[in-house]
Amino acid sequence: MNIKNSIFALLVCVFAASSLASSGLEGQPAPDFALKSSSGANLRLSEYRGDVVMINFWATWCGPCRQEMPLLDELFTRYQRVGFNLLGVNIDDDSRRAMKMIDELGVSFPVLFDARKEVSKLYEVEAMPVTVLVDREGRIRHVHHGYKPGYEEKYLDQIRSLLRE
Amino acid sequence: MTKTLISLAAMAMLAISISVAAQDVAPLNADAAMAAAMSAQASESESRDQFRSLDQDVQTLKKEVLDLNRDLFLLEEELLFPANSQVAFFISMDVGEYFELDSVNIKIDGKEVANYLYTAREADALIRGGVHRVHMANLKTGDHELIAIFTGKGPHVRDYRRGATITFDKGIGAKYLELEITDRVKKQQPEFVIKEWE
Repeated sequence: MNIKNSIFALLVCVFAASSLASSGLEGQPAPDFALKSSSGANLRLSEYRGDVVMINFWATWCGPCRQEMPLLDELFTRYQRVGFNLLGVNIDDDSRRAMKMIDELGVSFPVLFDARKEVSKLYEVEAMPVTVLVDREGRIRHVHHGYKPGYEEKYLDQIRSLLRE
Repeated sequence: MTKTLISLAAMAMLAISISVAAQDVAPLNADAAMAAAMSAQASESESRDQFRSLDQDVQTLKKEVLDLNRDLFLLEEELLFPANSQVAFFISMDVGEYFELDSVNIKIDGKEVANYLYTAREADALIRGGVHRVHMANLKTGDHELIAIFTGKGPHVRDYRRGATITFDKGIGAKYLELEITDRVKKQQPEFVIKEWE
């Protein structure tokens, strides 16, 4: 019985680890959406087809997001001219708080407001931050849940390889 | 002394025989190199042909996938929206000098069915004469109320929000409604009209 239980526990652990490591969205076409941006313009994901797009879901109450955003902005300013775009999707109920944080951090990439949480549902966002990389064909290639120092190196490698395709 | 002479003569003979052998081998090596080059060329052209045919196969497969995708899309539409109960709503824009479209919200019989945000490109396409199918639905025969709320920038770049309502009769067969945004030059205001396509 004990052996059975331990095998079951092991299987559960393996399943949990594999589900964390890879998201079911990877390889799927990126769901299209349009949202109001910090500049006032409406932006639609499908209009960026042909470019590599990073979608970063964030919130003002999320500490790692605050840590990660300036680093993402560096990637954006560095690779924007070679076909890389970054869309920050804020999920706060009140967009004014997000605007304040954008000003504080001085990030230059477009930030979209998903106050109705429709887009975060489409992308199965269950943690903060979530970073999704979409290739030139509009397919989700990488999904990262959370942020830890050093993840930016991973992002850099993945962006460079997607840009080369 | 004689031994030394004999060994010197032997060495000279050996050297001569080696040089003769080398002369014999040299043309053989050139032939082999030529043959190798020719076979490499042949294999290169063969691999190029193979690559070309593979490319053609990929193109054919791509076309088949696209055709299949189109057929599936049409089939899905036919199944989901049968012609008898189908209602489609279109947005069009004429001139657009007094109104910069931002979004359209559509309610049928008090229930929100569509909320579409227009990007600058999409709004520009409408001004250039494009027509956008904003929503498609299945409705029972009878009277239905449509409320369309348009938001955007009005004259003097002010926030603008206007609604238009129509009660339409859904008979047997598909129904098409056009929500048209036009400029009323006299009043310098935009106008929102809902038209039924015959």
